Amino acid sequence: MSNIVEIKNLSFRYSHAWVLENISAKVAAGDYVGVIGPNGGGKTTLLKLILGLEKGKGEVKLFDTEISRFSAWEKVGYLAQKSPIAQARFPISVEEVVLMGLCYDGKHKEATSANLQRVYQALSQTHTLDLAKRIFGHLSVGQQQRVLLARALVSRPQLLILDEPSDALDDASRELFFGLLVELNKKHGVTILLITHDTAEVGKYISKFMYIDRELVFFGDKEAFCRSSKVTEKLGRFAQHTIDHLHNQGHCPLGCDCEHSHPAHHQAQHGAEAQHV
Amino acid sequence: MFSEFISYGFVQRGLLAGSFVAVVCALLGVFLVLKRLSLIGDGLSHVCLTGVALGLWTQTSPLYMSVPVVLLSSYGILKIMDKIKIYGDAAIGIVSAAGLSLGIMLTAFAGGFNADLFGFLFGSILTVGKTEVFACAALLVGLLLFLLGFYRDLIAASFDEPFAHTRGIRVKNLNTILILFTSVAVVLAFKVVGIFLISALLILPPVTALQVAKTFKQVLIWAAVFALMSVWSGVYLSFVFNIPSGATIILLNLLFLLLAFVGNKMGTWLKKEEENAD
Repeated sequence: MSNIVEIKNLSFRYSHAWVLENISAKVAAGDYVGVIGPNGGGKTTLLKLILGLEKGKGEVKLFDTEISRFSAWEKVGYLAQKSPIAQARFPISVEEVVLMGLCYDGKHKEATSANLQRVYQALSQTHTLDLAKRIFGHLSVGQQQRVLLARALVSRPQLLILDEPSDALDDASRELFFGLLVELNKKHGVTILLITHDTAEVGKYISKFMYIDRELVFFGDKEAFCRSSKVTEKLGRFAQHTIDHLHNQGHCPLGCDCEHSHPAHHQAQHGAEAQHV
Repeated sequence: MFSEFISYGFVQRGLLAGSFVAVVCALLGVFLVLKRLSLIGDGLSHVCLTGVALGLWTQTSPLYMSVPVVLLSSYGILKIMDKIKIYGDAAIGIVSAAGLSLGIMLTAFAGGFNADLFGFLFGSILTVGKTEVFACAALLVGLLLFLLGFYRDLIAASFDEPFAHTRGIRVKNLNTILILFTSVAVVLAFKVVGIFLISALLILPPVTALQVAKTFKQVLIWAAVFALMSVWSGVYLSFVFNIPSGATIILLNLLFLLLAFVGNKMGTWLKKEEENAD
């Protein structure tokens, strides 16, 4: 399986301190990776380094190309943690915002009927088609976030990089949002890197966890995450919290079919293997 | 009265240079305001004082002395933002303070404040020479070519810089060019409105245009229209009533903003009333 993202010995520091140290990881095609960790642990910085928005020490490759030479941006969809400037007075329509997503290698696409068709498809996917003609800045934060997801999807990317995208969404939109990500991952094989604190929600769908706390604490299958002594040793209550979330959702990471998969019950089911907390 | 006003060569030169530089400032200002970098005009105009004082001290043209000083300062702002990782407003503040204090120090060396310096501080549009008119025209042509070539890149980068980067748009280069244009515009504008009021020429017409325009193109057009209206009517009123031209231009811009704001509010209110009636 080819690597979509490859990071080797990646470190980054702001003037005062190291934010990330010596991170190495490979994300394969079709992976759905939940990037988790404490606040200030370096998750957002890592995604910025992967996208070339920040320059660090070490190596980053996207689709086997070194990031500084990477130009196939149509393969990448990105949704940032913060909404863009988005002042109410920025004179740009939702349609124009999504059309921006069709700009690759610095070359913009005209608003032809074929391109607009793709824009409307992307807006339909995120249930925002009715907002197409509205001014972006006039929308609610949740609506803006769905439009920006449409912009990330419009180029039909092979890699989606999402930084806490569900924070501004209401429950219904969140369900729709995560459902869409699952569909993209399962049906279309889109690789997803998702920063989230919503471990309960993503735990249901993701295939891998990447735990970042300045260093790469863990990267692997979610089943292994629950078993990892390194995770529990290093993160204590946070690991417990995350694993509890996974269990309380009735999605036992160890493959147990039981509905009451709380760690205590879980331990009884799986014995010593499940000594994860 | 108007035909007499327009018949003077110094008025014609002043109006031409003023029009060119006002349109340049208005167009640049749209991007600076939307990128929340509009105070860069304020910072760089303070730096102009260093250039002017250097010019007066060394008895060379303050205008030409200001160009390299302001270009260097704008480069400094970009480097501080990029390397020291501080926000744009703080970087502008640092360079502005350095420029202003150095300017005051040099002014003291140059023999203190004199009539020439007051002209630069408060503007003297009617003393504009032919060379300055050509320089302003060249700057406008250069900026229009830049906007035509990179129009959509500039919109994308103003709206969402990180995303624009992930579309392969060279955001850093665009920002650098935009700020270099602003530096030259600031230098050329200080004769029109004076060092103290340059930033208003960069901020007020775009902000007024944002009140009335519906699309990005309309914002650019309206900003240029408001800027032109303020310069022409400002210079005329200053001629008729013998009042300072720079301050009149800026006060007219403020009046336009007030009218646009009130008009905008009334439009929204009427629309709501109509909706309620339906």
